[in-house]
Amino acid sequence: MENARTPRLRIETDTEAVERDLSRLVLTLVELIRQLVERQCVRRMEQGDLSDEQVETLGLTLMRLEDAMHELCERFGLSPSDLNLDLGPLGTLLPQD
Amino acid sequence: MADTGIYLYAVTLDLDVPHLDVKGVANRPVRTIIQAELVAYVSEVPLDQFGEEPLRRSMEDLDWLGETARGHHRVVAAVAEHTPTAPIRLVTVYSGDDQVRRLLDQRHDDFVQVLSQIAGRVEWGVKAYVHPTEDQPTPTAREPAAPAAAGAGTAYLKRRQAGLRSREDAWRDASEQAQRIHHALTALAVASHLHRPQDPQLSGRSDWMILNGAYLVDEPRSAEFAAALDGLRGPGVDLQLTGPWAPYSFAELDAEAPP
Repeated sequence: MENARTPRLRIETDTEAVERDLSRLVLTLVELIRQLVERQCVRRMEQGDLSDEQVETLGLTLMRLEDAMHELCERFGLSPSDLNLDLGPLGTLLPQD
Repeated sequence: MADTGIYLYAVTLDLDVPHLDVKGVANRPVRTIIQAELVAYVSEVPLDQFGEEPLRRSMEDLDWLGETARGHHRVVAAVAEHTPTAPIRLVTVYSGDDQVRRLLDQRHDDFVQVLSQIAGRVEWGVKAYVHPTEDQPTPTAREPAAPAAAGAGTAYLKRRQAGLRSREDAWRDASEQAQRIHHALTALAVASHLHRPQDPQLSGRSDWMILNGAYLVDEPRSAEFAAALDGLRGPGVDLQLTGPWAPYSFAELDAEAPP
């Protein structure tokens, strides 16, 4: 039963931690929106209401966004799993891989 | 009296009142209150931990909660060894003996009915887990040269589509499997109850919990139940049997404070 998990959530107040946490939060939200848009694109592609050209353009854009996210995460020293938020009974914000 | 409350663990009929030698929550001794042919097992607890306001804080402290749950269970298990027992929900606290007596009076029929349903029966818990990615081919591998003419962007979206779909398929398979297990076990039980799957942080496992069920089983059929569960084991799904428990999932009355 003993584990390192802290029983309570703490808010750290030193500046560096605040900056890091804030960038993490912003990146989390950007990633959430990116994934939602991606799903929506896949859905519309499946329904066939996008032209080949549109599919290509959207795919390229999303791919570049994903690369950009990777770069940003590296710069802030974050891994993809850091961008996830535990919403308690609702599960996690992003799907876990 | 003002700074202690009465913590209620369980209710039984007053046919066979065991002498209890266990300590309850907060290491408090346990005593009984007898009223209307029913017995309530209680402890006096400090309100600075168990009062309404402090409880809100204490409940967030997983260490405190774990300790309290163990104390609660210790008492319930000890009573259940002797006689059919209706466990009360964790941290149910009354202002005094009188309030408990009123509860026993007012809910007398409900308690008697519940106790007769669980007599001679035990609760088994079954949890099923699957490892979501194990036998799924990972769709992230770059596809060998995208199909003619389609560009990199199209290929990317197709990969995503495959990834999302295999995820959905895995979920669907898992929930069908859970249904199958649940049906097979329910057939052997007097009653069953599905709990919400647990937070991976509490269970300490990262795989998906697809079933968190409780089954009320006639005591003599326990071996048969366990054997049936073994028959449901298969590759890719991990089944866990816990118990026998006092029938927590079937005997909990909402012991609301009487007005």
